[in-house]
Amino acid sequence: MQNLRSGPRGWLYAAAALGASLSAAACIPVRLQAPDEPIEINLNVNIRQEVIVRLEGEARDLLQDNPDLF
Amino acid sequence: MSVSFKLPRLRMIAAGFAVATSIAIAAPALAQADNVLASARASGIVGEQADGFVGVVAGATASADVRARVEQLNIRRRAAYTERATQRGVTVNEMAAAVACEIFAGRIAVGEKYRGEDNQWRQRTASAAVVMPSFCPPA
Repeated sequence: MQNLRSGPRGWLYAAAALGASLSAAACIPVRLQAPDEPIEINLNVNIRQEVIVRLEGEARDLLQDNPDLF
Repeated sequence: MSVSFKLPRLRMIAAGFAVATSIAIAAPALAQADNVLASARASGIVGEQADGFVGVVAGATASADVRARVEQLNIRRRAAYTERATQRGVTVNEMAAAVACEIFAGRIAVGEKYRGEDNQWRQRTASAAVVMPSFCPPA
């Protein structure tokens, strides 16, 4: 087996080893646990257009049936 | 015999007259409430909101009477929304938003102020049409 320290590819192995150790040192620990707080989804803005379309007739009826409210 | 036959009918007529009278007395009071809010709406003190309710315009000076009427109006609106929403199996917010789309599309007069989806108050002018909320279907 070729000697890893010498030869034309020696510096390549050395650079790879250096790079691996550097990236390992710069690794940010990965948290594999789920977050404590539940994911909060704000639905105030997320009213779907399809629902509104289906309610169009109902909305118009409501407006006509309650003229004193609008 | 004839007296006992006529009395129940008289009672019904009297009851109907009493009901009609009470409605006639109450009607002007309701009409006055509309006038106070109508003038507040026209002068930019209150306005329609994208959530289907009426609000006091930011920075406007609204009397306690106007604020109370706005609150009462919104309570009654919420009751109407809830009733219909329950019938259709949707949330109250969705029913209110659908009504808001109808209001924004045709019931905001020129000169009136309205609160859009971004919670900002704007005024409808002759050159500035009402900005529709994004959840409203295209006209």
